[in-house]
Amino acid sequence: MHIDPKQEVVKSKGGRLGLTLLLVVVLMAIFADLLTPYDPLAQTAQSFESPSWEHLLGTNHVGQDIWSQLVYGARTSLVVGLLVAALSTVLAALIGASTALIGGVYDRIVMRLVDAFIIIPMILLLILLSIYVDPNLGSGAIIAIEVLIGIIVVGIAFYMVRSLGWVGLLIIGPVLALIVLARNLLPTTGGLIIILSLLSWQGGARTLRAQALALKEKPHVAAARGFGANTWYIIRRHIIPDMGPLLVADFVFCVRRAVFLQAGMAFLGIGNPNVVSWGSMINDARQWIFLDAWRWWLVPAGVALSITIVAITLIGSALEPALDPRLRGEVSAQN
Amino acid sequence: MLTKGNLLTYLIALLIILTLNFFLPRMMPGDPLMAIYGDEALVQMSPQLKADLTERFALDQSLAEQFASYWLALFRGDLGYSYSYNAPVTEVIFGRLPWTLLLAGLALLLSTAIGIMLGIESGWRRGGRFDSGVLSGMVTLSGFPDFFLGILLLLLFAVNLKVLPLFGAEDVYSGLSGFARLIDIGEHLILPLTTLVLARITGGYLLTRNTMIGVLKEPYILLARAKGLKPRTVKYRHAGRNSMLPVMTQTGIWMGLMVTGVLFIEVVFSYPGIGLLAYDALTFRDYPVLQGLLLVSAFCVLGANFIVDLLYARVDPRVSYAH
Amino acid sequence: MKSVLKIEDLKVSFDGESILRGINLEVADDECLAVIGESGAGKTTLGLSIMGLLNGNTAGQINLGDTNILTLSEEEMRNLRWSHVAMAFQSSQNRLNPTHRILDQVAEPLIAHGKQEKAPAREKAAGLLEKVGIEPEKLSHYPHELSGGEQQRVLIAMALVNEPELLILDEPISSLDAKSQVEMIAFLRRAIAGRMTLLVTHNLSTAAKLASRTATLYGGRIVELGPTNLMLSQPRHPYTRALLRSYPNMTTVKDLQGIKGRMDRRVIGCPFHPRCTQAIPICREQIPALENHEGRLVACHRGGIIPALSVTDISKSFKTLKAVDGVSLVLEHGETLALVGQSGSGKTTLARMLSGILEPDAGEIFIEHRKAGQPSKDFHRTVQLVFQNPGEALSHRLTVLEAVREPLEVQGIGTRAEQDKAARKVIEEVELPTTEEFLDELRLEIRGSYRALTQARRSYDLQKRSVTLAKRRRKLAVLQQKEGQASARDVLEAEDALRRAQNGMTEALISYTTTRLRFLTTLGLVWVDEKGRVHERAEPFKFDRIRKRYPRAFEP
Repeated sequence: MHIDPKQEVVKSKGGRLGLTLLLVVVLMAIFADLLTPYDPLAQTAQSFESPSWEHLLGTNHVGQDIWSQLVYGARTSLVVGLLVAALSTVLAALIGASTALIGGVYDRIVMRLVDAFIIIPMILLLILLSIYVDPNLGSGAIIAIEVLIGIIVVGIAFYMVRSLGWVGLLIIGPVLALIVLARNLLPTTGGLIIILSLLSWQGGARTLRAQALALKEKPHVAAARGFGANTWYIIRRHIIPDMGPLLVADFVFCVRRAVFLQAGMAFLGIGNPNVVSWGSMINDARQWIFLDAWRWWLVPAGVALSITIVAITLIGSALEPALDPRLRGEVSAQN
Repeated sequence: MLTKGNLLTYLIALLIILTLNFFLPRMMPGDPLMAIYGDEALVQMSPQLKADLTERFALDQSLAEQFASYWLALFRGDLGYSYSYNAPVTEVIFGRLPWTLLLAGLALLLSTAIGIMLGIESGWRRGGRFDSGVLSGMVTLSGFPDFFLGILLLLLFAVNLKVLPLFGAEDVYSGLSGFARLIDIGEHLILPLTTLVLARITGGYLLTRNTMIGVLKEPYILLARAKGLKPRTVKYRHAGRNSMLPVMTQTGIWMGLMVTGVLFIEVVFSYPGIGLLAYDALTFRDYPVLQGLLLVSAFCVLGANFIVDLLYARVDPRVSYAH
Repeated sequence: MKSVLKIEDLKVSFDGESILRGINLEVADDECLAVIGESGAGKTTLGLSIMGLLNGNTAGQINLGDTNILTLSEEEMRNLRWSHVAMAFQSSQNRLNPTHRILDQVAEPLIAHGKQEKAPAREKAAGLLEKVGIEPEKLSHYPHELSGGEQQRVLIAMALVNEPELLILDEPISSLDAKSQVEMIAFLRRAIAGRMTLLVTHNLSTAAKLASRTATLYGGRIVELGPTNLMLSQPRHPYTRALLRSYPNMTTVKDLQGIKGRMDRRVIGCPFHPRCTQAIPICREQIPALENHEGRLVACHRGGIIPALSVTDISKSFKTLKAVDGVSLVLEHGETLALVGQSGSGKTTLARMLSGILEPDAGEIFIEHRKAGQPSKDFHRTVQLVFQNPGEALSHRLTVLEAVREPLEVQGIGTRAEQDKAARKVIEEVELPTTEEFLDELRLEIRGSYRALTQARRSYDLQKRSVTLAKRRRKLAVLQQKEGQASARDVLEAEDALRRAQNGMTEALISYTTTRLRFLTTLGLVWVDEKGRVHERAEPFKFDRIRKRYPRAFEP
């Protein structure tokens, strides 16, 4: 069945709305420097100043400009979300495809582990891991991570541009810009990214494995094998392209989860306090809810976070009917 | 459904957690005692206490012996000792567990039930105003992180309108008992429960709605209508009955999300359950408590999964064992 | 009060496509009416429209007693369903609710319509389930634990449980095995005795066993309606006959015969005309009404199947020998008739007279009720003699092209150039080369292609008076079989004839032996004796009986 993810999203009203909202957030993140003159971490004025022309959303409890924090916070959420999702999806695809194609004991053991991980409540594991694994990494580790992420991102970029043409460029362009602009975030959030990725790929692995299993039996795969194609060729030319829509859907839901978890962790106070993020803003603002400041401090941060997540959800929901044909059609049961 | 495979999965999950619990602190460089308790706590401990603990957990022995004593301790029900609470971890945790079970249990039941109901109605009236409205509402709601939602509700009802209490599970100082106490507990429960239910309702709703849409196209629905049954009967006894099955399958997997939710909500509302305990333990670097919590919560989640598996077999007759 | 189902001018369409186009039916309160037709004809739609379960546009009237079902509100309809009208659906995957026990599902309508309380309802349901053959242990089972046949029985029991006035049976036995079918028919016979029943099926034997009257549904219309036994033994509408012919039957030895083409709803005029062998211009323009012809209701502009060829009392003598003496025959459209007789019995003479090559001394030949006068060009457009040995049919003096062109030349259709072009086209169609070389060959040289060439020559639709190629070929072919031919070729010839018959050809076959004739969907056999008289007309499966009576003729 030929499903075109970008078509599906663009076709649905919800999908279009999601894309638009997300675009706004992305642009806000990319052009953060232009949108505000202040460094979000610098103390620029008195504490708890009300909104004014110099400080659009006023200042927080230590005098930092809230608007700056808001726009730079977008970077944190998006970068962490995208990178975690990228790493996660790649891992899920590799594990899913390999267990499907190799099968046997490997398959059984790995899938058993995957199932176990799906059931374990992730949040506590996250907390523990984040304590024991120091989120601030040494420079060697940073470079290693940057290289790894670079390779994966560039790889995905190539693939997208090749298969989706200029639309792929349109999608991957801002993403790359964002990552480059936010590379200073990597040292401080790199650890979190790695940990989140390690705990997010399991769900995707299940669905992708199921898809790979179905694809494996398809006649065109058998025909290719008949010509002498090896497993790598099969994966590259026959399995991955057909998994495209699923991969995209998995990616989108991964981003959603990652954005949420990053905010949640920041809310709990885990992670580097120098990283500006919406989650940490909400956490800080929470201590001061008795003051009026919550109106321009807590609420914008929360709303920004919610809008981002809703946008991603809408995009993901637009893709769902493409994956489940029963949802197509508009007939109501009431006659 | 409960199968040998599932049971195996649960056991493996438990094993993974136990092993992680054991190995993580011991993999850190330095003194294991420090790893277990954190350097801050260590600084404040008396040498006597340190010696006690070292002996208790065989920290000066080989890894194998430590492993053995770890398991022995587990079987004894000994989860360690909490420095900040100055009590055995088991005691600390189980003191707070009931509140969380109350909150989480109610939230699970309510969010599942309401989610399914709304999903059935929405699926039945697909494309209509009710459906579009609820669907949009749900999608928007799903974007709100539970902690943000909680804070908003707290702000509105507790801070500004002042109709509901700000924190806690009950008013401990007023010495209420009997029915009055129940009411008090109820009042304290309203906001956290509402937040948790709102946060978790969307999953069940969406899944049920989608399933319902598919079910309504099945031949037995036409037959049900042909039998002249009331629309309500067709909707619930026939379509609804079949549409709630996937949600039951997913409930087990969604437990993890419930744990996350509970944690955040308890923090926001200062509700004295194990979620808040985790947060405090995190703040005070009380690692034994955290590890104990991971174990206990994992156990609860697995237990809940187990119960759902047992129930599912009774609900879906296509799953058969002894037939 | 006698409640009668009366459907008037029912029209149903979905998404702009018309499924039922004016159905008129009446069912008395104690009879079973069967509606037969192929898959996709609209039979189930008919059933569903009576139940009010359709999503499409409906027009017309469905009167049950005094009530027009189509005008009822949903609430009123709901009360009607299952208590007055119930449908036994065809069993399929997920037809029964997988999460309810079958006893509950059967008892449900009783309780829902307030007919009984829970306990007596379950008792009644249990009793009925037992009657249809479900073992008592299985009553508390779920649908997926039952076989397809058992599920069908549950569905039937479910339909009967409320004792509805009108019962609609939709393919009640198609998912059962042979033995269960027999049992179910026996059960249904008792169950529908005295009950108003509408049976919808493609299975003619079910209709034969259960229904007193049958209607044939084609292209959204009723094309024939009449007493079941008559309709199935002597169908008057070509489609009903075709349905019968496509049906395997333990007693005949004939092959199945299909009708060429497919049902197309968008046809203007008579819905069957593109596939009909006796269509005339008006059939393309106007829809025929359902009219009474000989005690049957038939929707056909020509009043049903008409004889393609009928001869009355023809005789021919050669000098003193009376070759054919007072022969009368009727050959209906779409029929294949075999003429069997000894050598010298006058078959050849008869064949030549039938093909218009020889004129009879006495008697008359009618083509479609029209008397054939002098053998005229007109006659030859309709009737053609086909030779056993195709090579003989082609003059060895003509080139291939000339030979293939001949029929057109003779009939004077089209210009030379057009004729050439048509000839080439036709040669291509039979997959022979169209190179100039080939076309210039004298036919003498091309032995292997004789059959194909003669087939090519027969492709012209000379009726159209233009150089077009017909999808429907000649109406009538008289095939003569020579003595003592090798059997392999005869088999081929038989296959050819079969193919032609499937194309709607009407044939009279003249043969020596009957063995090969069994291949053909013959409807009749005529025995011509040595005196040139015609004796018997019999169904093919009665060959054996004839053989006994006229042994000499059947020596191979």
